[in-house]
This record gives sequence, structure tokens and C-alpha cells, in this order.
Amino acid sequence: MENIIECKNLTHYYGKRLIYEDINFTVPKGRILGLLGKNGTGKTTTINILSGYLKQHSGECRLFGQEIQRMDPSLRQKIGILIEGHVQYQFMNIQQIEKFYSAFYPKWKREAYYELMSKLKVAPKQMISRMSCGQRSQVALGLILAQNPELLILDDFSLGLDSGYRRLFVDYLRDYARSEGKTVFLTSHIIQDMEKLIDDCMIMDYGRILIQKPIKEILDTARKYTFNVPDGYEMKATEDFHYPLAIRGTLETLSFLNKESVEIKLKELGIPYSNLQCSRVDLEEAFIGLSGKY
Amino acid sequence: MKAIFYKEWLKVRWYFILAIATSLGFSIFSILRINRVIELKGAGHIWEVMIQRDVIFIDLMQFVPIIMGICMAIVQFAPEMYHKSLKLTLHLPYSALKMTFVMLFSGFLLLLGTFFINMIVMNGYLSIVLAPELKWQILNTATVWYLAGIASYFLIAWIVFEPAWKRRLLNIGITLLLLKIFFMSDMPQAYNSFLPYLAIGSILIASLSWLSILRFKAGKQD
Amino acid sequence: MTYFSKILLYLIIGFLAMWQLPWCYNFLAVEGSKSGFTLYSSILDDFVFIKHSDAGAVRKSLSGKEFTQNQFDSILPTFYLRQLVTDGRFPDTIKGIPVEPKMVQQENFNYRCVPSDINRPKIGLYSLLESMSKRVDLVMPDDVFRLTDSRIEFIDMKSNSINENKSQIFTAEMKKKGLVFPVKTLSGNPTTRKEYDEGYVMLDANNNVFHVKMTVGRPFVRSVKSPKDVTLKHLFITEFRNRKTLALITDTENKLYVLSPNYKITKVDIPSYDPKLNYITIMGNMFDWTIRITSKTEDNYYAIDNNTYQRIKEHKNKLSSNGIPTLSFTSSLDKFVKPRF
Repeated sequence: MENIIECKNLTHYYGKRLIYEDINFTVPKGRILGLLGKNGTGKTTTINILSGYLKQHSGECRLFGQEIQRMDPSLRQKIGILIEGHVQYQFMNIQQIEKFYSAFYPKWKREAYYELMSKLKVAPKQMISRMSCGQRSQVALGLILAQNPELLILDDFSLGLDSGYRRLFVDYLRDYARSEGKTVFLTSHIIQDMEKLIDDCMIMDYGRILIQKPIKEILDTARKYTFNVPDGYEMKATEDFHYPLAIRGTLETLSFLNKESVEIKLKELGIPYSNLQCSRVDLEEAFIGLSGKY
Repeated sequence: MKAIFYKEWLKVRWYFILAIATSLGFSIFSILRINRVIELKGAGHIWEVMIQRDVIFIDLMQFVPIIMGICMAIVQFAPEMYHKSLKLTLHLPYSALKMTFVMLFSGFLLLLGTFFINMIVMNGYLSIVLAPELKWQILNTATVWYLAGIASYFLIAWIVFEPAWKRRLLNIGITLLLLKIFFMSDMPQAYNSFLPYLAIGSILIASLSWLSILRFKAGKQD
Repeated sequence: MTYFSKILLYLIIGFLAMWQLPWCYNFLAVEGSKSGFTLYSSILDDFVFIKHSDAGAVRKSLSGKEFTQNQFDSILPTFYLRQLVTDGRFPDTIKGIPVEPKMVQQENFNYRCVPSDINRPKIGLYSLLESMSKRVDLVMPDDVFRLTDSRIEFIDMKSNSINENKSQIFTAEMKKKGLVFPVKTLSGNPTTRKEYDEGYVMLDANNNVFHVKMTVGRPFVRSVKSPKDVTLKHLFITEFRNRKTLALITDTENKLYVLSPNYKITKVDIPSYDPKLNYITIMGNMFDWTIRITSKTEDNYYAIDNNTYQRIKEHKNKLSSNGIPTLSFTSSLDKFVKPRF
């Protein structure tokens, strides 16, 4: 399948501080990929590099096969971006902004924009600067829908939105992306939103990518295991057991192994466990289990 | 390109009207001042003072164009930097270089329009009461101030677009020194031989903004 | 474009550095040297000077003699005229010639011309006063004149229109006396704060000097015979109280001449004076002139005989300057703004 986003040996520093080194990932056409990571792991860095507002230290990053910093301007027709906070031109109203953007896109879908705007309770001449964040998010979304891009890059779309608008945004976006086979790269700090939306999940840790898997696979295979250990016992993390944490004799860890394999592994490692319990996890638990609470 | 002009116009239209009104106010006030002197002391007094004491009677206007240039750049480009809306602008499927210069060009045109209206008004009045030599004495001297207005517009744009504060301070320092060049002498017509070079320089510094835009695109930070 | 912008930025930074850094250095590190007040004493036949130092003022002659303040007044009686009169010490004769304070005062003059008087923007409009005014005081006229390529034009200030009649009369008279337009340079002193008016001296297209003034509303034009093999260049009207000179003139070789009221041009016996580069100060009295010509590196003093314009004595002061060359926009030598070293 064709890869819309391709990043190879991506390395970035801020000054002397290494953000990550030699990371590689691709996003194939038609997939919705959510990027998860704790603060400071390089989510925003990645989004900025992908949207063309940060020049990576080294490595290469291509959208539709073209190096981002040197991409043909016309290619940007096929890319929609959403800036953190749903920022749009403050000094325009919803008609002016539509008029402005439509001039740049030959395949502009005016109706798509106004369909969404008709549901918004704002006066046609109301300045964007005087709209709520939720209303602004609808304007930004409407503009993206009218632009009808092949690839969407969304920076923390849930920031500042209440649950109603968040739901609205997610629903529209999913509907749009699914029905037209669009590719989406997004981040959000609210993981529940992503769970409903994304196909693939990429989790970043400091300096590296922990996993990139279809969300279905994660939800199907990730398990939370709890078992009792003697007081004061501490288990080291291994490839199979992520962030084991013992609190008052109860140890919790995340693993992609099934229960039988876990028992075999624990025995191999010589861990004095008892009362092994296994439960399914949602994406948020999986994320915390994989990246640790601290 | 029309759309870019449209966007720039939306940002600056109120300021543009205000700028025209203010600068016209200053021109008209200067004119009234000259007129008053003529009424009180006769036209001959104005002529003599101008010829012998290098007075040009519009010294009030000296810093008006530079302030207009600075404000124009801020009014036009600060909204682009607000929450980094410039990202939206530069993401449009249009060459970033062209985008930058069309934006600068639109502000430049409006500024030029304002200055032009000023000049026409002053020229109209001064032609009546003064000999051409004296009129040019005034307008030539004012031309330096108007050039300073153009230069300040481009230099402030360069500063506003700059993403990192440290570099911005450096830009401010350079800007202050460059603008000082326009105000080195109170002598009317002192700049005459330097004026063409100053004009070319004022236009060329428009290209500095491109460096700021490149740094913005590269995500430069402090 | 990126290269262009970068190169431009570096050029600007280099340009500003060339301007500001040496300026800072010169501002902090350089002390200019000054020669004190120097004047030729007719009594001593020597230059005398006052040097100010931390210990106070020292009055000396070049030959090394030191003077008290009172002595100093007496050896420069024409200069310290008022002091001497006040003290009742004014002599009856100076150098054997009977003198009266009024007579000395009449003969004294100060003249100063700096390069920026010439190197400056010019408007090209001039006032021509009535030089035979019936009133005691001079009055400013209601018109100004300009010199075009072919004539003189008087413009009435109130109506801002050309006075054709007057323009024609003056043009005709000037042409009749042999003046060839366009006029290259002219000098006048259009002010009412002087004792008499001599109008203008003009240098015409053929480098001939003309004296143009207005008497009883009519043009007065006289042509002046230039010395042989000399091309005159700059004119300076004097209008000193003593009426012994009409103008100072320099030529293309930077020689100095005096134009006297009888339209004779006499060479002044000093080596060189370039009005575009040198400062000149002349302190004149009934016996002699002390001419000081200052260039960047030297202060030259010449004592000149009042009648023959021959040199009596000279004195040179080297001026030291340890400043480093710098890019600057203004200069003490002119009133223009342009980059130069």
C-alpha cells in the first residue's frame, strides 16, 4: 500500500537537548494514526516537522513522496492542517474566511463548509476572535472539509473543547476520513477521543517510538496482569513486561502475552508470584501501562 | 493574489483610514500654521525665514511617516504572529516567497498611497504660496521622512516575523541604527545626493523579511 | 532570494559596524588638539597667543616672552580697544600714528568662513536690497530673485509671481555690461543688520566677476577685470565697516584675492586657501590682518599688511589627530548627509 507519510532516521535536537534519534515510521494511505506520548516526548515536534514548521536536525521526512521542507507549494492543496487551539485568522468572520481560502483551492467545497456553519449559532458577521473555542473548532473543521485534503495533520484537536464539541469533531472527522479514504495523523491529550477515531496507534517514549500498531491489535492483545509478591519485592521491566510496579505486595504490569505464556515467563524469571490475574484494557490503560505512570 | 490583498486589507483597513486621517491632519495642521504666519507677518516673512534660516515649517511631520510605517507593519503582521496564524498563511498552496512579498507589497502600496495623498495636499497648497524652489525645499526634505516610513515598515515586518526573541533584539538594534541614518541632519535638502541610494536601500530591505520567514519555517526558537 | 537576503543582511551589518565601531573608538579614545587664541601684534611684530591650561591662562609671544593680562591688552590695542578705553589706558598713537577709539573701531573687522558655508544645499533664491535706501536702516525687499540660464528673475513674494518688468530691466543691464548667463556663483549678504549694502558679486559663465546691486530701484552693474591667466572660482562679499574691500575671491589654484571698491583685484600673499576644505578666520585692524587658515592637519597663521596684502609674518601649528578612519554620514566640512570615509 502507498505510504502517505514516510519518516526515516528522524533525529531532532532543541539546542543540545536530544528529542529523539533515528526514529522511523510510515503512515499508509487511508489510515487514521494517533500519536500518543507523555509531555516532552516529541509529539509536537513531530507534528511541527510534518506540517513544515520545524526543520529536523537530520533524517528525512516525506509527504506524498516529497521532502517536506522542499515540497512543491501546490502539493499543500492535498494537506490539511489544524493548528493547536483551532487557531484561525482572528480578524475575519466566517464569510470572509471562506472567501479567502476558496481562492487558493480549485476543488473547494463551499457547501461542506456552510453545511457545518449552518449548525453553528453564530452571526454571519461575527469575528472569529469573538467565538468560543468550540465554535472556532467547527470553523477550522469546516474549512478543512471544504479544502477536502488527502492528508490531515491535526495538532491536539481536543484542546479547549468541551465534550459535546469534542464528540462532534470526532464524529465529523471519522465520517469524513472513513468515507473518502483520507489519511489522518493526529495527536490528542484525551485518549478516549482517539480510541473512537483512530486505526493505528503510535506511542512515543523519550527518544524513541515504543510501538506502532493497529489499535484493534493493541486492544485485543494487551493485558493487565496483577499478582501478589512478597513485600518489598521489585521486579525489573523486560521486553514482555512493561513498567511493573509493586504497591503493598500487589504488582501490576502490562504485557502483550496471553496468560499461559505469562506464567511460563514469570517462572523462567523466577519471580515469586501468586494469585495471577489478567484483565483486558482500554487504550488509556494500555498507554499508561506502556509508557509508565511517571 | 487578489485573495492575499483581500486578507491584508481586512487586517489594515481601519488602520489605513486612521493613518490617512492622522497624516492628513498633520499636513493640514502644518499648512494652517504656514497660513497663519502669512496672515500675521506676510508671505515675505515665510520666504525670508526659509531662505536664510533653513526653516521648512513642516518639522511637525518629521516622525509621522516613520510612526505610520511602524504601526502599519505591526497592525498588518502582529495578527499573523498571534498564536502563529502565520502557519495558516504559509500552509496555503502558494509559494511562501511570493506570499511574503505579496503581503509586504500590499502594505507598502497602502503606505505609499497614504504618503502620496499627503504629498499631493501639501504640494497643492505650497504651489500657491511659495516659489517652486521653496516648495521643493519642503517636499524634498519630507521625502527623506517618507522614505524612513517605508524603511521602518519593512524593518518592523522583519522584526515581527522573526520567531526567536534573541534574534529579534539583534534585528531591533540594526533597525534603530538604520533608521538613525534618515535623521542625521536637520538641514533641508541635505540628503539630495544620497536620496536615490537611500530609496533603493529602503526597498531592498524588504527582502530581509524573507530571512525571518525562513527561520519561522525552520521552527527556530530561543 | 535567500542568498540575496543573507548577503544584504551581512552587508548591512558590515556597513553599520564600519560606521559605529570606529565612531565608538574615536569617541572614547581620541582627544583633539587645539591651538590657543593667536593674533599678530602690530606693536611687537610677532604672533602672541593665549593658552589655557589647568594652571590658568598663559599669555606669550612666539619668541617666548610672557605677558600679564594688562601687558597683553596693550600689545593688542586694536583688539582690546574697549578694555583699554574703560581702563583709561588707550594710547594716543599706535605705531606712531595718532589714533582715536572710534577710528580703530571703524577699521576692525572679523571675518569667518567655514567649508560648510559653501558645501551646502542651496535654494537658489536671493534677496536684493535697495542699497541707496532713503531710510537710515536697510529694509528687506518684497521680492527675491533667481538666476536662470538666460536671465535674472524677480519674484514678488506676496503674489508668488514673476515681476517681468523688473526682471527685464535687470537682465538687460547685466547683459549690456557684458555679463554672460548662466551665472556660476554669487555672493551677497542680504540682511538689514549691516551698515551698508553692496548687493552681490557674481561670477558669470566666462568666469568674469560682476558687481550687481540695486540703487534707487535701478540696476547697478559693474564688470571687474580679472587678473591675467587666473580663473576665479569662489566669491565672498565682505561689507566690512571700513569699506576698503568689496569681496574676497579665490581662484582655481586656491589663491586668495581682494576685490577693492575701485574694482581692482589684488593677490593676498598667502600660499593657499581652499574654501571647500579650509576654515578661514580674518581678524583685521587698521594696520594688518591676521589670517588663520585651518586644514585637517595644520593651523596656519599669516600676518598680512592692510594696504599691500603682503605677508609680514607667518606661523604654523601642526594639528595632531590620532583618530582612525571611519564611515560617517555627516562631516564638519559640509552640510550634506551621505556615506563617506
